[in-house]
Amino acid sequence: MAKSSLPGFDAIPFGRLYDWLDERVGVKEVVEFAKKKVVPEHSQSFWYYWGGMSIFFFTVQLVSGILLLVYYRPGEGAYDSVRQLVYEIDFGWLIRSVHSWAANLMVFSVFVHMFSTFFMKAYRGPREFGWWSGLGLLGMVTLFGFSGYLLPMDELAFFATKVGLEIPKNMPGMRPLIENIVQGGPDVSSVTIQRFFALHVVILPLMFLPLLTFHLWMVMKHGNAVPQSEELKPASQRRTVPFFPNFFIKDLAMWLIALNVLAILAAMYPWPLGVQADPLASAPEGIHPEWYFMNQFELLKILGRILPGMAGEIGGVLMFTLGGVLWGLVPLFDTSSKFGSRARIATWFGFMVIASLIALTVLGYYEVVVTKS
Amino acid sequence: MNYPVWDVPILGSAWVIGAIASFHVLVSHFAIGGGFYLPMAERKALREGRADWLEVIKSHSRFFMVLTAAFGTVTGVGIWFAIGLGSSEGTSTLIHNFVFGWAIEYTFFLIEVTSAMVYYYTWGRVSDRMHLTIGWIYAGSAWLSLVIINGILTFMLTPGSAWLAVAGTGEEASRFWQAFFNPTYFPSLLLRTCICITLAGIWAFITMSRIDGARQPQLKTDVMRWTAKWLIPSFVLLPLCFAWYLYSIPEASRGLLELGVKTMGQGVFTQVTRAALVTVITSATICVIVYLLAWRSALDFKFGHACALLLLAMAATASTEYTREMLRKPYVINQHMFSNGTRKSQVDAFNRDGYLTRSPWVRPEERALWQSGDSADPKVQAAHMARGELMFRGQCMSCHTVDGYRSMRRFLETRDRQAIGNILTVLHEYKDDSPYKKFMPPLTGLPEEITALGDYLNQLVHGADAKKAPAPAPVVPVPAAK
Repeated sequence: MAKSSLPGFDAIPFGRLYDWLDERVGVKEVVEFAKKKVVPEHSQSFWYYWGGMSIFFFTVQLVSGILLLVYYRPGEGAYDSVRQLVYEIDFGWLIRSVHSWAANLMVFSVFVHMFSTFFMKAYRGPREFGWWSGLGLLGMVTLFGFSGYLLPMDELAFFATKVGLEIPKNMPGMRPLIENIVQGGPDVSSVTIQRFFALHVVILPLMFLPLLTFHLWMVMKHGNAVPQSEELKPASQRRTVPFFPNFFIKDLAMWLIALNVLAILAAMYPWPLGVQADPLASAPEGIHPEWYFMNQFELLKILGRILPGMAGEIGGVLMFTLGGVLWGLVPLFDTSSKFGSRARIATWFGFMVIASLIALTVLGYYEVVVTKS
Repeated sequence: MNYPVWDVPILGSAWVIGAIASFHVLVSHFAIGGGFYLPMAERKALREGRADWLEVIKSHSRFFMVLTAAFGTVTGVGIWFAIGLGSSEGTSTLIHNFVFGWAIEYTFFLIEVTSAMVYYYTWGRVSDRMHLTIGWIYAGSAWLSLVIINGILTFMLTPGSAWLAVAGTGEEASRFWQAFFNPTYFPSLLLRTCICITLAGIWAFITMSRIDGARQPQLKTDVMRWTAKWLIPSFVLLPLCFAWYLYSIPEASRGLLELGVKTMGQGVFTQVTRAALVTVITSATICVIVYLLAWRSALDFKFGHACALLLLAMAATASTEYTREMLRKPYVINQHMFSNGTRKSQVDAFNRDGYLTRSPWVRPEERALWQSGDSADPKVQAAHMARGELMFRGQCMSCHTVDGYRSMRRFLETRDRQAIGNILTVLHEYKDDSPYKKFMPPLTGLPEEITALGDYLNQLVHGADAKKAPAPAPVVPVPAAK
């Protein structure tokens, strides 16, 4: 068999195919470029997989979302179309389940990726734009989640969205804006589904994909950051592996494991479809948003108990906003690559954010359980 | 109901057994496969004069000894405690039938543990030939312990007609060998041997991944690739073994899987098919990952990758064992004893005389209250609920919990007293076309016992005011079971 110029693929037909393609489209140039890129190798390399993992789940979202579009009907028939998909169309339940589970796993991966990036100080110059574009992507991912949650229009989706939209509506001057533009009326209805559908499948992807491309370009341009313990080592002692094929193969293996987790969750715990939403009914006990919004929801509840009237909600929203702004401004605060006091403050700030998110989420779920029981 | 019920909230006793057993299988099968891995690796290293490789094998033998002798042993004893408490009737039957088998297994186990220790502590202290011989003694005794336990495990799914013919007569032990070499014995032995060989490779990656590839590139590449080859026999044979195994299991069990495959598209497929799918998916993933990482990128293979493989192996093992257990449904010993400990031969007697009639766990004064016709008396009412609870504990709790795994509250929360009564009636009648018959045992007992169970479940699900809130408690029509 002819020797291929693709390393490691000499003895298999794939090598010939590669050569055939290379002659026509110049695959070798791309491979050569990828081989020049290197990924640092050290005891914390595990965290480098999470960015790729997030993209993997996004790809699953894209494919399963397109398949869902075949049957989904936004508007009045939304619930019926999802019910038909789940109970009448072969493997419809699986596609919906994969889409929903992948959405949650993507949010989880993005969070892990963000915090690992934070603690590796990967926000420092010259990587500031990588950090800011990443935060933009995180914001859009949560918006994807929020807009997609309503689409089945079952009881839980309806009331969770209603509760979620009430929060910004209570901000001074925001009610007309939310009702006219987002909600399409005074209450959540089939018009809201159409708007959320447009947001979910057109507007957000159109914004997300260019930003993702920019984010990846930043990673390619500046490479991976390393933990401070690695920075201290002389260059001769730092290890790297070529992105292609070494790191790419490991990435593939991690994606395969991620696919396993997704397949097990989707097959063993199919995403449920509740009863059809009845706008005239009262909200079920313990209604709450998805887990990634639970911390904000709980903070609002706590402040609502402490502060009078609308002050709790306004205070809560101001706190998230301030927290988000501070989180985004960290690259301008912790700029030094040495171990200064600002670096330590930023690290402690990161730990505090994680601890608060976890504590508020756990407390939120605890209250839900107590309310239901 | 000869034994007390082990109440494990949320998890349920079945999951305690399952969790311990999954870990035990993962370690004990490694103990068998690893028994072959060590002397074979040592022989190869000696033949090729690879002192560096021998060092790695020695290090692996220490890890092997600690893991198998400590964790394997502790979890093995843990299974005994768990099955003794969680499935007392079934365990009692197995002991009465296989006590001799267990004695043989224990003998091999003693040789196994002793030789594992001798193997590790004699590195460099005895001749190479002697050391290898000790390794082979270990391998042989470990595999023979599988040969024995496999007979007992497979018996539960396929006890065989010879044993079933004498079941319940007190002469079951006279059919020891027929029960031992039952219809699924040989396919299961081959299947498990393949799994042992695979797990030997996967566990070996834990040790091999810690070799510094930058310092010893040749050593790491060689041992990683040699270890990866341990997955090849399984890759080829496992599908064939699995097909043979499926061919040997009872038609009803195969039917459960077939039903699951047929209804997969609608998403209502059986739990056993879901678990079998997990086995297939995770096993295939292990093969691909071993090829991509251990074979193609041996030098980049790290401890984390080895742990990820081990987790996948754990998922594969747990789902395989779960599938095996589920295939027996609704029996714990096929065609003899139901999963709640009721023997098939006892069903008529329980329906005629009462499930709790001979139970040693009922106080005489409680029985007297059951006989009282004064339903307005709070004491009689409390005793009625206690009777229902005893029925629940005896007949439901081996598989169901109140709030956790297979939660009764969740199953029944949308049903009123009438609907609960209807389900109990269907379970009691146990007709051939009953949708529950494939995986649930019959509900046995007198009509008033079943009514008490219905009232208890209604109260459990809908709270103390259950009698006021949902539909009034009906008089459940309970025809005699066939």
